[in-house]
Amino acid sequence: MISILLVIFNFMLLGILVFNGMNKGQSPGFVVQNIADGLHSSSNTYSLDSSAEALLKQNRAWAMLIDDTGRVVWNYMLPDELPKTYSLTDVSKFTRNYLMDYPVFVWEHSEGLVVIGYPKGSLAKYVYIFPTGWVSSLPLKLAYLFAGNIVLALLLSLFIGSGLIRSIRPLTQGIQNLAEDRKVYIEPKGVLANLAQSLNRASTLLQQKNDSLRKRDEARSNWIAGISHDIRTPLSMILGYASDLEENSAVPAEQRKQAAIIRQQAEKLRSLVNDLNLVSMLEYEMQPLDKKPIRLSALARQIVSEFLNNGLDERFILEIEVLDENAQVNGDERLLTRAVNNLIQNSINHNPDGCCIQLLTSFNGINNTCSFIVADNGKGISQNELPDLLELPFSSKRKHRRKNGHGLGLPMVARIAGAHQGRLFLYSDIGKGFRAEIVLPSIKHD
Amino acid sequence: MDDIKNKKLLIVDDEPEIRNMIDGFLRREGFTRIFHASNCSETLAVCKSVKPDIAILDVMLPDGDGFSLLSSLRQISDMPVLFLSARGEDEDRILGLGLGADDYIVKPFLPRELILRLMAILRRVYSPPKKERLPLFRLGERIVDLEGGIVRNGDTEYSLTAKEHALLLKLYENRNRIVTSDALCQAAWDDDYYGYENTLMVHIRRIREKIEDDPSSPEYLLTVRGLGYKLVVREG
Repeated sequence: MISILLVIFNFMLLGILVFNGMNKGQSPGFVVQNIADGLHSSSNTYSLDSSAEALLKQNRAWAMLIDDTGRVVWNYMLPDELPKTYSLTDVSKFTRNYLMDYPVFVWEHSEGLVVIGYPKGSLAKYVYIFPTGWVSSLPLKLAYLFAGNIVLALLLSLFIGSGLIRSIRPLTQGIQNLAEDRKVYIEPKGVLANLAQSLNRASTLLQQKNDSLRKRDEARSNWIAGISHDIRTPLSMILGYASDLEENSAVPAEQRKQAAIIRQQAEKLRSLVNDLNLVSMLEYEMQPLDKKPIRLSALARQIVSEFLNNGLDERFILEIEVLDENAQVNGDERLLTRAVNNLIQNSINHNPDGCCIQLLTSFNGINNTCSFIVADNGKGISQNELPDLLELPFSSKRKHRRKNGHGLGLPMVARIAGAHQGRLFLYSDIGKGFRAEIVLPSIKHD
Repeated sequence: MDDIKNKKLLIVDDEPEIRNMIDGFLRREGFTRIFHASNCSETLAVCKSVKPDIAILDVMLPDGDGFSLLSSLRQISDMPVLFLSARGEDEDRILGLGLGADDYIVKPFLPRELILRLMAILRRVYSPPKKERLPLFRLGERIVDLEGGIVRNGDTEYSLTAKEHALLLKLYENRNRIVTSDALCQAAWDDDYYGYENTLMVHIRRIREKIEDDPSSPEYLLTVRGLGYKLVVREG
């Protein structure tokens, strides 16, 4: 690219240099031809066109017409020192060279020979004689010149380019590292030393920002872990004594019922604290994962069986469909079970009138992913509320108030999927049921 | 059973209210020899002097964490240990059980759960290892004797093959609950369902021929479509 531009530029320059001076004023050949054309004879008097006359004036040239006998029959501004008759020898002499130091040019005319002369010393006259072989080889030679020029330009641009690339390479590597959030240090040297220094500064700044962000995330997560720890001890006592009272036969039935309510609420609080802690650990990527190969179909059967064994309300129908028996992921079984449980529980909680819930497992060979899909035929939710469901409750990104539940269920599922390099997709509309798909990278499939 | 109630228990927690509450529940269950400790150094001292038979350890203590305490305890005692943690569920459970704790309970807990788990550990560790007899149960007119590996129907006896036995045991352990095909294959072949699908079906059919009056419309060993099987046993 560079070399092509260079070649084009080169030739333009050459052309301009060569032809610029030549075209200064009209060429003498052009002028003399014009004069010959502009000189008309009528019954022994001659008249010159005004345009031809202007041309002569412009070139400060004189002109004359010599007839067949060698006499000057017409002239224009002919210097006095020049003779009025010429022999054949004179004519042949000045045609090739000068007429008394005037550079002259001739052109044939119906009445004789038109001669125009330029002021002395204004033009140099050369007569070129070339062997025809040389002339015919000229295009080939020009082609060689052209090709040589291209090669030279290519080599030159390659040389300059490779030098530049060599000094840019550490910089591009540095920028790439910067984009991948790695630490960058480039030895500042050569013409691009300033750039290297700026890159180093940017990297240090980014590292500092990352460190402080990480520290803040850690602090937040620790803060939530600390609070949930501090809640757990008093909650242990509430739960412990309430359930003790509930089972104590010495306590009147009414009070035992109240103790049961205290115990149930304490258990709710317990699950909230646990969920909050888990979501916060996932959010700040501090949740340790106990990963192993898991067959989606086996986990799905286990989850559905567990729901049925624990006495699913008869208003609900829970079905399983295994579209691919052998899809496997490398995952944390407890967390994945938790995620699918959340989705099924969600369908149960949001459809108190009952619905049919389907758990599907599938494999997508194109992306090499596999999915847990939980779909119900219940009430559904309007489409514009869907993105909200993945945000944490009380987050400023959440546009609508949550309606029931503590609102951690779906954000937890999304974060569990994220911790497995997967994603949660939600599809729903009012009256069209709710469908949630956890897409996870598949590890093997045979 | 009574000698279990005679065991020496050690409760380690920095909150005296928690210790007192657990103490109260345990005393009501019949335990009398209960000791308290509020930190690591006290725990080590009590362990040397009274040599408790089991310890309930809090994970977070003022002068160290329960996991390192367990490591130092292991040098002087082999007693079983039950962790009681107020931290998150997963991270500590893995660590605690990995260090050789016998069980792990997350606060807040139900007292009944704590006592059941405690008793289970004590029984497992201290009861004389009597030979566990495999169950014997009725299915209608038939008697399934897993110890003898036979199914008796009046005068006729069918013997069970090793795989049929393993499957029936697994189903009986989870009687009246769905057992997934995966869990059954794991129990019989120690491998997962994939590839054993047809083999499992063949074995289930053979079991049905032995325990059902009409194997083609089973009454006790039911198929749960898409999931697995369920053994229906009417108790009493």
